[in-house]
Amino acid sequence: MHPSTWWRIGWRNLGRNRRRTLLTALGLGVGYFAVVFMVGWAVGISAELVENATSLVSGQIEIHDAEYRPERSLYDTIGGREGADVEALLRAIDADPDVVAAAPRVYAGGLVSSGEATSAGLLQGIDPSRETALTRFLDPLAAGRLPTAGAYEVVIGEEMGRQLAVGVGDELIVVAPAADGSLANDLYTVAGIYRTGLVEFDANTAVMPLADLQSLAVLGPDRIHEIAVATADPSLAGAVAARLGAALGAAERGLEIAPWTELNPVLTEYVALVDSMYWIFIVIIFAIASFGIANTMLMATFERRREFAVMLALGASPWSVVGTVLYEALAIGVVSLAVGTAITAPLMTWFYTAPPSLAWLYGNVTLQGALLTPSLRVGYNVPAWSWATVGLLVTALVAAFYPALRAARVPPADTLSGL
Amino acid sequence: MQNMHARVLVVLAMRNLRRHLRRTVLTASAMIVGGALLVFSFTIGDGGHEQWIDSGVRLGNGHVTVERPEYRVSRRIDDRLPADVRRAAEQALAAPDIAPHVIATSSKLSINGLASSSAGARPAQIVAVDPVAETGFGMVDDQILEGRYLEPDDRLAAYVGAELVDSLELRLGSRFVVQAQDTEREIAGQLLRVVGIFRSGVPAVDQMTIHIPLTTAGDWLGSRNDVTNVGVVLDGSAATALVRGHLERALADPVTRGDARVMGWREADPALAAAIAIDDFGNYLTNGFLFVIIAFGIVNTVLMSVMHRRREFGVLQALGLTPRQTGAIVLVEGLTLSAASGLLGVALGLAGTWYFFGDGLDMSGIMENIDDMTFSGAVIDPVIVPLFAARRLLQIVAFILCIGAVASIYPALRAARVDVTEAMKFDR
Repeated sequence: MHPSTWWRIGWRNLGRNRRRTLLTALGLGVGYFAVVFMVGWAVGISAELVENATSLVSGQIEIHDAEYRPERSLYDTIGGREGADVEALLRAIDADPDVVAAAPRVYAGGLVSSGEATSAGLLQGIDPSRETALTRFLDPLAAGRLPTAGAYEVVIGEEMGRQLAVGVGDELIVVAPAADGSLANDLYTVAGIYRTGLVEFDANTAVMPLADLQSLAVLGPDRIHEIAVATADPSLAGAVAARLGAALGAAERGLEIAPWTELNPVLTEYVALVDSMYWIFIVIIFAIASFGIANTMLMATFERRREFAVMLALGASPWSVVGTVLYEALAIGVVSLAVGTAITAPLMTWFYTAPPSLAWLYGNVTLQGALLTPSLRVGYNVPAWSWATVGLLVTALVAAFYPALRAARVPPADTLSGL
Repeated sequence: MQNMHARVLVVLAMRNLRRHLRRTVLTASAMIVGGALLVFSFTIGDGGHEQWIDSGVRLGNGHVTVERPEYRVSRRIDDRLPADVRRAAEQALAAPDIAPHVIATSSKLSINGLASSSAGARPAQIVAVDPVAETGFGMVDDQILEGRYLEPDDRLAAYVGAELVDSLELRLGSRFVVQAQDTEREIAGQLLRVVGIFRSGVPAVDQMTIHIPLTTAGDWLGSRNDVTNVGVVLDGSAATALVRGHLERALADPVTRGDARVMGWREADPALAAAIAIDDFGNYLTNGFLFVIIAFGIVNTVLMSVMHRRREFGVLQALGLTPRQTGAIVLVEGLTLSAASGLLGVALGLAGTWYFFGDGLDMSGIMENIDDMTFSGAVIDPVIVPLFAARRLLQIVAFILCIGAVASIYPALRAARVDVTEAMKFDR
């Protein structure tokens, strides 16, 4: 007999007990959704972590003097004590086709005081227009506006503003050890307040225009500590960093060009681990689901033992009986897949396009220093989705194998005689 | 009479489970595996969280902390804990009913200052401690890289985070200067010498933290023996509410005056609480999905057995059983099946997890390259010792019984609604 006949018999049999078919398909369909959703949620979490690690306050690639990390000393500017032609460097970086933004930065440590209260802080000198193209923390600001160069203005984190009890328009004294060994100090006006959600960063970092910090710290205009670079996609960072290394002559000039994967190796490993762990979900969920199918198929074959006896008596081989049961299981798998897709597709589309907030459940967390906000954001992990589909069909077939063998071993004569 | 009826119903239900042993075993297997996974994932999850909490509170302010209400926001030296409140808090912690839970108490003065050396300047979190008390509070012994911790007679000594040591280009024995606002609101400087270097694994701590003796801070900042908080590390996070309540009662006066606030670790460290909430949420979801799948299996099995026994129920009702009693047979059948298999699963899960109780479940195989991962300021230990909490086990058992009950209701209703004459016809 043609295989399509066995398939038709299997398929028809599903319709004979619709309630049972539906319950079985619901079990498998929910399992399918569980796998796709849980893996998708994990992917969404790693995507947000990577985004926040590479575009909230830092870039995807950081360029420093080779001596700069890990000490981050005030003196180890790009190009050493002589400094470098910053404009030429930025032009060369911008020339790379995958670079979307690059911004120079200067760092210094200092005391920030409102007169009443004093807090120690990290001073960050930036080029406001380049910085806002690269990172998100200054755009939009929680209050006020970006600082103007030469106007003695700073932007501080919300937490620092709270600790010093200052707001936009208030004055701050900044005291910082300068590169010439002196203790520099000046009066600045708070132009704006930013909020990243990273409590430590918001409490510690004061931002001012690059030239203003260079003059406070007695660093020449050619001396910067870092150029942060953003590419179109975090996954390009490694390749672009290698290309920039060649284009800028990193080795000869003593530059270190590090992609985020190198700057935060633990986060990189975590993301890779999460991306590869979906099989655990697939195995656990479908293992549990397989009991349900095995049971359903066992009941279905037991009810139909006279039918199988007739088939065998009319000359069907035991293997074709196995075949028809397996076809039925495959048909259940297809129905379950349809049910699963009907549950999964709309919910995943919703969670993907407009992630519901989970703020009622938990607040901001940081994983390896990267911010994670409470939302049910999901990502699509195509291999996991495909393997879930394969897993569902394989589960249906494997779970039906034992019932199929039992069906094939029905003794025709005894069964038909009513024994 | 009533009793006999109930017994008969139960006997009928049990017999039927035995009659279809294969079906019963298959359905039970799903429940057994599910129950075991439930116990395993929650005892391991709770054990992991307990470790996060312990690591987080030891690096921070303890399971319970007493401080001035303003201090949480301002972090200013002005918001020190009044001496009488500190004494009252320390006395309350020695009370006999909570003392068994107390592992260590430490009263500290934590302020923010600037640490500088010839290499540059860095913001620092300066923690002035009583060296003896802090040794039991923080996990000091595990974290020392070089040198030693502070000792009671130390003057001008500093125990510094490894990354701060690097960024200021210091070594053991180097001198450096810290500056901070003193009690007179002037910027005061203090020369310190590095006696010990530590690594906690939490970048924010290793980049910023300097421990100095409380006496040194008193002379430098004019704060004498004052502290900004009294913290206590407990034998487990479960004792937090008890100790917190006790401290709140003991400090009722200063709390109402606005001189003190008693906080549990959840309030003091909302990011850590959030990290645990997100992890738990993931665990609830996964197990929720598993049990929905299992519940469909139970509904299917019990419903099929009801369908096969329409005639039996017809006969029973014709002999005088009420629909309610017929339904009860099915309910008992479903509940027994799910409860027995669920509890067996829980027992298996407990036995399996118990194996890891001594040495812990070592996940370092899959976390090979990500040792020292931090989650909201807590270091994640790849070796997890499961935690068996009676409340969690009760929750699990209650959950399994609920799933069993919910899954049996629909089949029971179907059995109760059997049409007697229709079911007893022979021409089916």
